[in-house]
Amino acid sequence: MFTHIWKKEIRGALYTWKSMLWLVISSLLFSFTSYLLLTNKELSLLDQTELLWLLGKIIIGVALLIITIDASSVITTEFEKETAESLFLSPISLKDFIIGKLLASLTLWAAIFVVSIPYILVTSAGSHLALAFLEYVALLGTLGVVGLIFLIFGISLLYRSSKNTITTALIILLAFATPALFASNLKNDIVSQAFSRANPIDNIFSSLDNVLVDYKISLLENWQFLLPLVIFCLITFTFLFWSAKQFEKKGIIKND
Amino acid sequence: MKKLPIIYFFAMAILAGFAIHVQASGAPTLSMQILSSKTLSGTAGDFVTVEGTITNSSSQPLNTITTYLSMADNETKLPVDLEDWSAEKGLYIGTIDAGQTLPLNWKIHFVKAGTYSLIIIAEAAGNELPQVSSITQFNVSPKQNLNPGQVLPVALGTPIILIFILFMLSYKRRVGE
Repeated sequence: MFTHIWKKEIRGALYTWKSMLWLVISSLLFSFTSYLLLTNKELSLLDQTELLWLLGKIIIGVALLIITIDASSVITTEFEKETAESLFLSPISLKDFIIGKLLASLTLWAAIFVVSIPYILVTSAGSHLALAFLEYVALLGTLGVVGLIFLIFGISLLYRSSKNTITTALIILLAFATPALFASNLKNDIVSQAFSRANPIDNIFSSLDNVLVDYKISLLENWQFLLPLVIFCLITFTFLFWSAKQFEKKGIIKND
Repeated sequence: MKKLPIIYFFAMAILAGFAIHVQASGAPTLSMQILSSKTLSGTAGDFVTVEGTITNSSSQPLNTITTYLSMADNETKLPVDLEDWSAEKGLYIGTIDAGQTLPLNWKIHFVKAGTYSLIIIAEAAGNELPQVSSITQFNVSPKQNLNPGQVLPVALGTPIILIFILFMLSYKRRVGE
């Protein structure tokens, strides 16, 4: 039954060209970045590996931002438009509902990734890193996006309000993103290092650096970044599971 | 005047003893030789290998030997952070037996254009002074990634194709209704 929810969301997204305009704007952003990196005399002096790392960070950064906003509203709008009641009256379980919505959000990530492929290929031409760049953007992006969706869906089921969920989710994303942009010499103390090891965005960027700049492209050479991302997904999944149980306890119509 | 030869003898004996002491404490027991070219040139992004050997020229095995790289930018006269230049900034060798020679290989990634001086430093437990290799000069020329010929069709084409696909999907859906 989850395919029904998934298809409904995708049909809704493709109903008018305006609802997918963000994808065109993302594409323009990638165009602008890659064109500047490859034609601007100052920027083109960057080592190609650093150039790829910068583009990789922009692709995953844009994806995380769009997924955060989409995932924050994809569940809560069902409550705000009061369509959740009729939806749960049909033979759709909460599990199918969540899986359908998860697939809908992951489809957006897939769309961003597909759009980014030509840019990845053109910027990595001649570096022998195109395949590794594609694989790691797909792997790291998927792990980051899945963990973030679990977390936001968990918040959505607790809040049932778009405004509150979007605000909370954006602040969480900002909290993850800001320290990830700090230079490595600002992460010398234990607290910063501990937060850096746990921060999913930091791990994504560090792994990209490891692959593209240090040429450590095997999964074994990146386990120290992949493991925290997998743990992040497991923790957020547990939170979503707990949140779904709370939702079932309280019922569709909240009594508080 | 008869005492002069005796004083001369004692003076020579003291000097000889001092010389032996200096040789015993300050003589380099570790020696390093760079086998690769004294000047390595390339473009930013290239990899080069600095090859050398480390020899224990003493009659005793030397323990806890560590070698590490040190590099300076010849233009700014400042040391360079080797984070992206070499995966191995330091190499722990451990013990080198008396008279033994071991190879040293350092893979260096040219990250930024400029001229640089690289030395390898070796230190052993108990030795007050480290042993320093001869200088290897790096001449790194800039790499321009100017590629407007390939990026322009992608930068312009992708958004245009995307707009076309979205319009077609939207149109098909409306016609289907």
